[in-house]
Amino acid sequence: MSKANKGAVRPKLAQEGFFGRLSYFSSRALANLKQNVFVSAVTVGTIALALLIASLFLLVYVNLEGMAQGWSDKVQVTAYFDKEPAPLAVAALKGRVAALAGTAKVLFVSQAEAEKRLRSRLKGQESLLEGITPDVLPASLEISLDRDHRDNESVAGYVRKLKQIQGITEVQYGEEWVKRFNSFMNLFRLMGALLGSFLTLTVLFIVSNTIKLTIYARKDELELLGLVGATRFFIKAPFLIEGILQGAAGAVISLLALLGCYFAFLKNAGDFLGINPASAGLSFLPATHLAGVVLGGVLLGFIGSATSLKRFVNV
Amino acid sequence: MIQMHNVSMSYQPESTALTDINLKVPKGDFVFLTGQSGAGKSTLLKLVYADLTPTRGQVLIDGVNLTRLSRSQVPLLRRSIGVVFQDYKLLPNRTVLENVAITLEVLGWGKRDIGKKVFHILKRMGLEDKVNATPLRLSGGEQQRVALARALVNDPKILVADEPTGNLDDENKEAILSIFKEANNRGTTVVVATHDRRVIENSHRRVIRLDKGRILEVSDVQG
Repeated sequence: MSKANKGAVRPKLAQEGFFGRLSYFSSRALANLKQNVFVSAVTVGTIALALLIASLFLLVYVNLEGMAQGWSDKVQVTAYFDKEPAPLAVAALKGRVAALAGTAKVLFVSQAEAEKRLRSRLKGQESLLEGITPDVLPASLEISLDRDHRDNESVAGYVRKLKQIQGITEVQYGEEWVKRFNSFMNLFRLMGALLGSFLTLTVLFIVSNTIKLTIYARKDELELLGLVGATRFFIKAPFLIEGILQGAAGAVISLLALLGCYFAFLKNAGDFLGINPASAGLSFLPATHLAGVVLGGVLLGFIGSATSLKRFVNV
Repeated sequence: MIQMHNVSMSYQPESTALTDINLKVPKGDFVFLTGQSGAGKSTLLKLVYADLTPTRGQVLIDGVNLTRLSRSQVPLLRRSIGVVFQDYKLLPNRTVLENVAITLEVLGWGKRDIGKKVFHILKRMGLEDKVNATPLRLSGGEQQRVALARALVNDPKILVADEPTGNLDDENKEAILSIFKEANNRGTTVVVATHDRRVIENSHRRVIRLDKGRILEVSDVQG
């Protein structure tokens, strides 16, 4: 033997340290994306399509939820007085009602105001009101409840407390309407959760299988890296970064497509369908939801890659 | 350097690939493993670079017992062993330079050092004008030399090659063998599995003959 061979000696620790390694793995991931353009495009396209369907569902759900919340503003409690309280007592009564948990807004309606409202409602049929004086109509407090107190039990509890206030003789609220509305909201949320879950599972299934196929197509590369002495982390890191980049790209593309669909078809769909005439059409997803979709894409890419790699990296 | 004690290897309970192998390949040696197809040559090589774990017995490389090696230690062992695969295992979408550079990237070398070292070895292999070509545009002999360059670029302690001259013409066989000899002269222990008699006869090296998973004979330097 002519020379003592020292084996794998390296002259320079170029990729040591967190940033050195991150930079190496990122450049490797980008190079892989370039070298496997078609496969990467298929993955990004699948993620984009899957997330577009999911975010379309989210857009419709968020708008329906907002619309239903708008309807719930109609949950109003009216407390009637047998005698109209003196102006000073009105302020005190309003204060006591406002202090009850769940009160959002309190409006005092005097007997005169009640009569005025009745007259304006019966415009053109004033003859019906002949002989009616303001004394006939009771003074009242119109109370709006905040959003957390609009369910059946909270409204019933609120009414019980309201009845304990001296001077209030009768309390009215659309009991039947509140019950129906709350049942509808519960059903709506349940359906939303079920559909959302099915959709999430479908998206996970499609995306993870697409990533699995793309990684399978490169199993020779994974095998070779293991055979030349790469550690599991060294093999996986560029693939995971690729997964994250593909997920993020897919999410951004899906949001751009959603934006396109929104301006082309959905923006005025609310008016067209006549769902909520008060609203100016469907609103776009709020920023938190947009960030959620991007994060979802990143997680999809990362988890899809990680689970597939587990199967193909045997080092 | 390479030692095997009572090594047996079964892929399935009823079929045995290797039976009771006892073997010693000293440091700096150059040996041929020969035998018919299915004799167990490839299995024996895979045991050396820990791609397989023996069903029974022990494999030692530089005194390290591979059967007791943890999963995280396997990559460290493989970095000191250059392997030339029967099917080359070149990545078709990477250039010749990138294919060879993989070995050094795994070791954490810097880009500039990788460039110099890879160019140097490709020049030794007569492939300096193919640096940016992809493997599919190379001939069989050139592909084999790229695979050899990848195996030798980090000056491994051991070089194992599985049928490296299988599909090559005489000229290319000669070129590949001279690269093996050169590596051996530089201190690398070389183990080559082949069933090509002419290659063995022209090389004048030790030969281990396998038959049905057993060592049939170990002959001294031929020629």
